[in-house]
Amino acid sequence: MAATLSRRSTLKLGAAAAGAAALGFPNIVRAARDRVVVRQDRDIQILDPAFRIGAAEGNVISACCQRLASFKTGSLHYAPDAAETIKQVSDTLIEFTLKPGQMFSDGYGEMTAEDIKFSFERFGIVQKDGKKSSYASDWGALKEVEITGKYSGKIHLKNAAPAIWRTAICDTSGNILSKKAGEALGEKITSQLVGSGPYRIAKWEPNRQLVLAANPDYKGPKPVFREVIVRPIQESKTAEIALRAREIDFTRFEDPVAGDTIAKEAGLKVVKMPGMRYLWIGLNVEKAPLDNLKVRQAIRLGVDVDEALTAAFGGKVERANAMLQSSLLGYWKDAPVRKRDVAGAKKLLAEAGLAGGFKTRLTVLNQAAYKTMAQVVQSNLAEIGVTVEIEALDGGSYWSVGKGDVGKNLDMSLQLFSAKMDPSFTSQWFVSEQVGVWNWQRWTNPEYDKLHVLAASTNDEAERGKAMIRMQQLMDDSAAFIWLTYDSAVFGAAAWVKPAILPNGTDWQFGLFGEA
Amino acid sequence: MRHAALRYFTSRLITTALVILGAMILLFALTLLVRGDPASVLLGPQATPEVIADFQRRMGLDRPVYERLGLFLWNMVQGDLGRDVVSGRPVLDRVIEVLPYTLTLTFVSIGFAVLLGIPLGCYAATHPGSRGDQFLAIASVSVVAIPNFVIAIYLLLIFSIWLNWLPVLGTGPSGDWGDAALRLILPSLSLALSWIGYIARLMRSSLLEVLSEPYIRTSRAYGLSETKIVYKYALRNASIPTLAILGLGVGRLLGGAIFAEIIFARPGIGKLIYDAIGTRNYPVVQGSVLAVVVLFVLVNLAVDMAYGWIDPRIRAQSARAAAPA
Repeated sequence: MAATLSRRSTLKLGAAAAGAAALGFPNIVRAARDRVVVRQDRDIQILDPAFRIGAAEGNVISACCQRLASFKTGSLHYAPDAAETIKQVSDTLIEFTLKPGQMFSDGYGEMTAEDIKFSFERFGIVQKDGKKSSYASDWGALKEVEITGKYSGKIHLKNAAPAIWRTAICDTSGNILSKKAGEALGEKITSQLVGSGPYRIAKWEPNRQLVLAANPDYKGPKPVFREVIVRPIQESKTAEIALRAREIDFTRFEDPVAGDTIAKEAGLKVVKMPGMRYLWIGLNVEKAPLDNLKVRQAIRLGVDVDEALTAAFGGKVERANAMLQSSLLGYWKDAPVRKRDVAGAKKLLAEAGLAGGFKTRLTVLNQAAYKTMAQVVQSNLAEIGVTVEIEALDGGSYWSVGKGDVGKNLDMSLQLFSAKMDPSFTSQWFVSEQVGVWNWQRWTNPEYDKLHVLAASTNDEAERGKAMIRMQQLMDDSAAFIWLTYDSAVFGAAAWVKPAILPNGTDWQFGLFGEA
Repeated sequence: MRHAALRYFTSRLITTALVILGAMILLFALTLLVRGDPASVLLGPQATPEVIADFQRRMGLDRPVYERLGLFLWNMVQGDLGRDVVSGRPVLDRVIEVLPYTLTLTFVSIGFAVLLGIPLGCYAATHPGSRGDQFLAIASVSVVAIPNFVIAIYLLLIFSIWLNWLPVLGTGPSGDWGDAALRLILPSLSLALSWIGYIARLMRSSLLEVLSEPYIRTSRAYGLSETKIVYKYALRNASIPTLAILGLGVGRLLGGAIFAEIIFARPGIGKLIYDAIGTRNYPVVQGSVLAVVVLFVLVNLAVDMAYGWIDPRIRAQSARAAAPA
């Protein structure tokens, strides 16, 4: 009865194994890869496009809903999505026709033009509880949506608004909800998302996970993964360990240096993109002695931007010299690249009557990278006689220090703003009416304001680009901004995951995630 | 005697209620002092001054401070912790949702600390000066001295990455108790390690003290076995300081579990408070902290009650103190 292994049986065994490998094993592998686990840095709170908190919600909403037009994979270019046709008829009119037969989940029926009107116009409406969408400006140019048929309608704009395509129609604010669901669910619309996109919410366990399952009723191209599991992991280091332990398949790293460890690990990969978020030091032009142009110029000359970036990000981020990043319309490629000049800075201070130096304060978010940069700035400015006190605040306090009259007491602040795929979104925060809101520099310039309106209301790209460059020149002249970096978007992923990330780095297209 | 014990219990309950009231007033005061405006958080940057004013009126934020305090206390007494200003959900629901995770983590950590700390302390006390005792002394002080988050990161690296024995994060899929238990090991151990060291040192010193008492010497003279002397007679009395510390320990862990909840990406009340502070979500901060305070004082009340059960001398002393002159 002793088992013998002849040459023939070895060959048979080998062939069987090869056959199994060829037929069965790949299916097993594929079965294990029918889902992707994605980390987001905080828990989902509200699943309502108009009242979302940020990208964490936006990514889930956009996976479950359709838009009239959507961005192509990882691109600023877009194509019709729920719309069969959509076109800009004039500066203030966009016409659309919906594809028939697009069904909302949970039995809320077919998508019609009524749903488009409901989804877009609600951004401008103050809710019963007094709440107004934080994203109302995305649809700020919207006058009304006129329904012309079951599937057709016209989007009337108050004025030409070129940004509306990339910041509203194709973006998270353009997600289409079911009107019937909105009326039936009332307040529950914030937690029960009814869409018609590639995924639907299969399970939502707050603080633990949100499971997206492929929507069988979705009429567009089927998503590659049957499930997308979104897990909230706040700590970047934990996310890195979770990726190495293969408990998650995709994450963004807040610290670009973290990618170095992942890059060395087999079965994992690092995806790097130029960032679009912009980081700068803002100087309050109303607060003495920063109200003196020469003082601001001296501070700008005294700061070694490259050194600050090396200290905080290991030199892994691109230096910024103006507001707009290179992929955006209006990028100012000839923006001056200032080198640190201690003697020049001292001379400017002396001209301002402050040869003996002065004391000031730099307010930063209480995060390691920002504090590191602040320390470099503190050390740099000490050499020109300026004593900097660093004030590191948690998010809740930090984001209120520039608001209202309290903002008048702010000296310098290190700020990080997110960007969208249109330059007008970025430039809007520095207009005069934003003083005490998001314009913490309290810098005002009538020409800038006029150019912002012009750029936001013309469809002529050349004219927009020119206006944007001029606006950045005005900012540069003010010396109220010391541009630091556009940050960088570094992601870690399992080697088999092909993520779909929009150029701003924060918007992820779960429906377009694929296998590498 | 029973009447006196009831009076003692009642007086402890009144003290507990006063502590909770003090905590509520302090909580209210803190939200007034901290920078940041809940109206801006809820309504967003697009809100007009009129909308903000209307919100403040409806939330009672435009009323005098004493009125707001009164309303706050009245609502809290009625169990109305308010509404989450971000999601609009009742705060009580949010607290109840995460509290079991924190309680589980806390009590499993304390369980680890007791199960390992007491035997180690007993061993050190019964073998004073031995190599084992010396090793335990160094190890105990080391784990007490190392910050918990450092321990947590190393536990993750060792057990999840290098050895690949234990999962990294979260609480696992709902309903899978085995997986949930596995995911509890590292966070609870990272919380417990310093307490293991602390309890071991405390137990060692109190047991050594008790072992030098005359009644122990008498027991030895009667020829009772050392095991019986240590574990039946000495350990019970030596446990009282440890028990007192455990009461504080549960409170510390309830609030201090936050780092484990963040590092191990677990839901919990510490993380809820942390996130709420960041967004100036005051109702959530107040409701969650109040829940922690109530639990803390209740655990300490239970510990106080347990003293009497463990040591009849304390029971008798309390009864005497509570009895009318």
